[in-house]
Amino acid sequence: MSTIIIDGLSFALPLFIMAIGAIYSERSGVTNLAIEGLQGFGAFIGALFVVLVSGNQGTNSQAVFYLSFFFAMVGGMVYALLHALLCVKFKANQVISGVVINILASALTAFLTKQVNRGVFNQPSDKFQLGVSNRYTVPVLSDIPVLGAVFKNIYPFEVIIIIVAVIAWFVLYKTRYGLHLRACGDNPHAVDAAGRNVGQIRTAAVMVSGALSGIGGMCFAYSISAQFSGSIYVGYGYLAIAAMIFGNWKILPTLGACLLFGFARSAGYQIVQILEKPSSYSDLVMILPYLLTLLLLIFFSKYNRSPRALGEIYDKGKR
Amino acid sequence: MKKLLVKILGNEKTQFIAIPVFSILISLIVGMAVIGLLGKYPATAYINLLQGSGLMPKPSYSAYQGMLTDFTSFLNMLTPMLFAALSVAVAMKAGLFNIGVSGQMLAAGFIATVTVGYSALPSAAAKPLVILVGIIVGMLVGGLVGFLKYRFNINEVVSTIMVNYIVQYLTSFFINTRYMDQISRQSKAISGASRLTLMDVPMAGLQVDLPLCVILAVLAAVLIRFFLDRTSVGFEIKAVGANRNAASYAGINVGKTMVLSMMISGALAGLAGVTYYLGYLQSIQPKVLASTGFDAIAVALLGNNNPVGIIFSSFLITAVTKGSSYMSSASGIDPEIASVITGLILLFSACSAFIRYQVGKWKTELEEAERRNADVNNNH
Amino acid sequence: MSEEYIVEMRHITKRFPGIVANDDVSIQIKKGEIYALLGENGAGKSTLMSMLFGMYEPDEGEIYVKGKKVKITSPNYATKLNIGMVHQHFKLVSNYTITENIIMGMEPVKKILGMFPSVDIKKANEEIRKLSEEYGLEVEPTQVIEKVNVSIRQRVEILKMLYRQAEILIFDEPTAVLTPQEIEFLLQIIRNLRDSGKTIILITHKLEEIKQVADRCAILNHGKIVDILDVASTSTKKMANLMVGREVSFSVEKAEPKFGEVILDVKDISVHNQDRFEVVKHVSFQVHRGEIFAIAGVSGNGQVELADAVAGLMKVSGGTITLKGRDITHESIRRRTEMGISYIPEDRQEYGLLLDFTLKENLAMKSYYKEPFSGKNGILKRDEFEKYGKRLIEEYDIRSGQGTVTQVRSMSGGNQQKAIIAREIELQSDLMIFVQPTRGLDIGAIENIHKQIIAERDKGKAILLISLELDEIMSCADTIGVIYNGAIDKIAPADTLSTSQVGEFMMGVKHK
Repeated sequence: MSTIIIDGLSFALPLFIMAIGAIYSERSGVTNLAIEGLQGFGAFIGALFVVLVSGNQGTNSQAVFYLSFFFAMVGGMVYALLHALLCVKFKANQVISGVVINILASALTAFLTKQVNRGVFNQPSDKFQLGVSNRYTVPVLSDIPVLGAVFKNIYPFEVIIIIVAVIAWFVLYKTRYGLHLRACGDNPHAVDAAGRNVGQIRTAAVMVSGALSGIGGMCFAYSISAQFSGSIYVGYGYLAIAAMIFGNWKILPTLGACLLFGFARSAGYQIVQILEKPSSYSDLVMILPYLLTLLLLIFFSKYNRSPRALGEIYDKGKR
Repeated sequence: MKKLLVKILGNEKTQFIAIPVFSILISLIVGMAVIGLLGKYPATAYINLLQGSGLMPKPSYSAYQGMLTDFTSFLNMLTPMLFAALSVAVAMKAGLFNIGVSGQMLAAGFIATVTVGYSALPSAAAKPLVILVGIIVGMLVGGLVGFLKYRFNINEVVSTIMVNYIVQYLTSFFINTRYMDQISRQSKAISGASRLTLMDVPMAGLQVDLPLCVILAVLAAVLIRFFLDRTSVGFEIKAVGANRNAASYAGINVGKTMVLSMMISGALAGLAGVTYYLGYLQSIQPKVLASTGFDAIAVALLGNNNPVGIIFSSFLITAVTKGSSYMSSASGIDPEIASVITGLILLFSACSAFIRYQVGKWKTELEEAERRNADVNNNH
Repeated sequence: MSEEYIVEMRHITKRFPGIVANDDVSIQIKKGEIYALLGENGAGKSTLMSMLFGMYEPDEGEIYVKGKKVKITSPNYATKLNIGMVHQHFKLVSNYTITENIIMGMEPVKKILGMFPSVDIKKANEEIRKLSEEYGLEVEPTQVIEKVNVSIRQRVEILKMLYRQAEILIFDEPTAVLTPQEIEFLLQIIRNLRDSGKTIILITHKLEEIKQVADRCAILNHGKIVDILDVASTSTKKMANLMVGREVSFSVEKAEPKFGEVILDVKDISVHNQDRFEVVKHVSFQVHRGEIFAIAGVSGNGQVELADAVAGLMKVSGGTITLKGRDITHESIRRRTEMGISYIPEDRQEYGLLLDFTLKENLAMKSYYKEPFSGKNGILKRDEFEKYGKRLIEEYDIRSGQGTVTQVRSMSGGNQQKAIIAREIELQSDLMIFVQPTRGLDIGAIENIHKQIIAERDKGKAILLISLELDEIMSCADTIGVIYNGAIDKIAPADTLSTSQVGEFMMGVKHK
């Protein structure tokens, strides 16, 4: 049981932070299928920082670990600027822009990883080795039966995510910027009439989504993959988008969706182990979260309301 | 500069071709700059790309190899891409975003592999059957997505992504438990009779791989174009894509049309699947989706969702991809640069709407200025 | 430079691609007056005021506010100059509360835990409540916009300006969506605002309103000022002639109706919307051959849903619809069209047309699938589209840039509507439903459409006319039904009702 909770959380939380990123972008009215590319590019910059300061073997330095998240955020943010530029300034089709950003991200990072490995470390490799992050257990709290598992064997990034998520929630729902951002997704003309710059608000929102996706990507690089390589693009970004839609573009229900994915996944692995089936059976249980999502969507899609101005290119002159 | 651009790109009748070509040129120039920065000769690299795709002769060939060998293997790679891009385009015409082409490809490829690919059927029966199975499986998966959208209002982006995962893990499970080739860590190779590409056919003293379905793919493009432009069902699909409310007001059954277009899109994806897994390849790597399905989105975009445009755009993108390995060995540039160039081409073509808008704005500005000059002259 | 003018616009010229929206326009507005801008659609009134509000910048000319030359580059700056504007299309966030909408951009801020700045919604609610009471514009600050009606939304827009301490208030066609009674109320508010020292600019094409409240009036035609008048000493007729640039007749000529058999028989139908809200409640009525049955009502009282239900765009949850004696309650839209229903929808761009398709495709949008446009094999015959398109363009005088292949999006609203009406008349249906057929059109076009409606009636068609314009109803209808809150409680011959009676029914005031 506790393994299910521990593994479930360590998968669900990175997904959650990416989904919050997606919420920021889409609630401001910019469709964001680019999360996949943003998380990959963010993770690339974070990993690049790690290998540049500590060599291509990984390190145990705490400072490097935390700074890598900072760089992943910056990387995701800067790369997201491209999506913002295409969608806000160049009036591109937002869905297409997202897909293009993803394709470009995997191409660019694969290319650059090779270049850096050859140029700096003089070795032909297409990955940056990072290793798996240390884990911590909170004393006392972790002794609580069942739920204590929440405090057992946690990755430090899970704490980072929770702090960032709380801040993101506060900003989105309680501050002036959040008020303007959500208004942009419903009626950008109202925001313009209130004297705020829709383009700026949306650009900032897309950049936030890049930064948060960067955190998510870095988490996967430091946990599941233990490296940065092309394997970072396995579609978790898309899964985060599904979680967001499932969560009706609201932060708390989206957390629920992410936890569902996480626990269904870890429970599946656990069941395979308990039944002592060969590991190939884990493929079968891996279907569960996705099947579950589809089934649940059948019942809930009727009540799903995407932001009204989502995907619309804002043109001042048009009324 | 402005004047020149307006002159080249401003004509509304030629814009549909001028703007994509312009975007491609810009991205090729940027690509050249990148290659130049790496200290290589850009022109050589581009020539290598063409040579690798069999579009230009290489300086030397090994035994039984020649330009034709490269070209047919380029066509072999082109075939699934063309089908996949058509699949994306048909769905897009109906206003649906089929991001699940890869999953539909895998489903069709897998089912065709285990039903026909592992059978002992003779070539004449096996090959048409593979195609048929591909069409049917793709159609069913696509139809399911369309049905979920129509009946339950499930966003097709989400459902196709979910279906992608489900297909990926499900096929992986079966391959791992039943059809695994322990050496290659892939599914067992299919029978030669069922493979849609004839391998190592002697021709003009060379050995070439003949992709039988490339003609079918080009034919499909022409057919789809005719279907969309000249039939009443095509009119309905485009109407639904343009505006669902207006389409339904005109008496079109929107739900039925969406399901239908997803079925056609799925069938094309199925064709892409069988030509990929039972043509270009002969086995399936478990738990991996072909990138073709995603690249196809971009190819369709570059071809402006126009079936004939897509023939050209898939030609271009495949040439860059296919030629990259030769470029890598000949000039020592990482083959990844090819996907970077592809990415750049897509990036610039995503801006085509902006280019059109900007050129239009410049055009009216220039006209306005000219008129004012004319006024001034008249007054004197 | 005189001090008495609070706003002066001098020699303003504004060009858009293809047209000159304002051509050397100069106006001077005194502090504390109600100044009206009169003109047809497209005369350049809104453009002129958009420049005063900073949404566009003039190509030529100068603007003075309170005697100072200013360059108004954004609505933000206009707000700083104490200029406010209520737009024709409200700029409200539908899922926000009234307070959130009003304070957006100028939110009161408090610090949580002394450091995190957040919006102080409690304080804002309080302020809004006070403000609304002060000006007699009562609203419930915590209500969400999607849940309140149009007239409340308009109050929210006015409160938005007042919250920003606007002194110069611009109203763009404020009465278009209101009932006569609501209009009365609004005009009173406008007078009150003037009396408390505000300056009002009123954009409108309705002469009576100007007559009722305005002090002075500038008339625009084709982007140019035609005249600036003192309202009290000018007749409505003169203003109308100046506005249109020719003599206009106010009444529609129309012969006595000759009713035939019942064409449409609606019995006890109810309609639920997406949110499962009952928007049409047990409505029954009949329309005869040769009759114009008009439904009057304030926007949002279920009339559009009623029309959609008859045409088949919405499902009914109860009751029956009979067309020429045949039950069509559960028929598809296409079947209904084929059985004889033409439908001119309210939203011509969202429903009536495929904007990115060509004109000829739009003209054949309801018949593309059958002879002569398409053979039995489902292949379209392009030359038939062309031939048909040419004929309709000719017969109905549809103007477009490139003839049959013009993209409909590029056509003017009036010509778009002509195309729809042409298509629907050509269907030769026995029942024609018109919803808001003249919305957003200029006087000439309106006259024309009214004539067409009456001509169709005289040909023996049954006409169901739904309109928010009471004038339109009064001048066209043979029978009037009034819809309020989803129900039709009053049906009577048009000549037995006066405008103000209909207005009262529209407000839900029941007379026996």
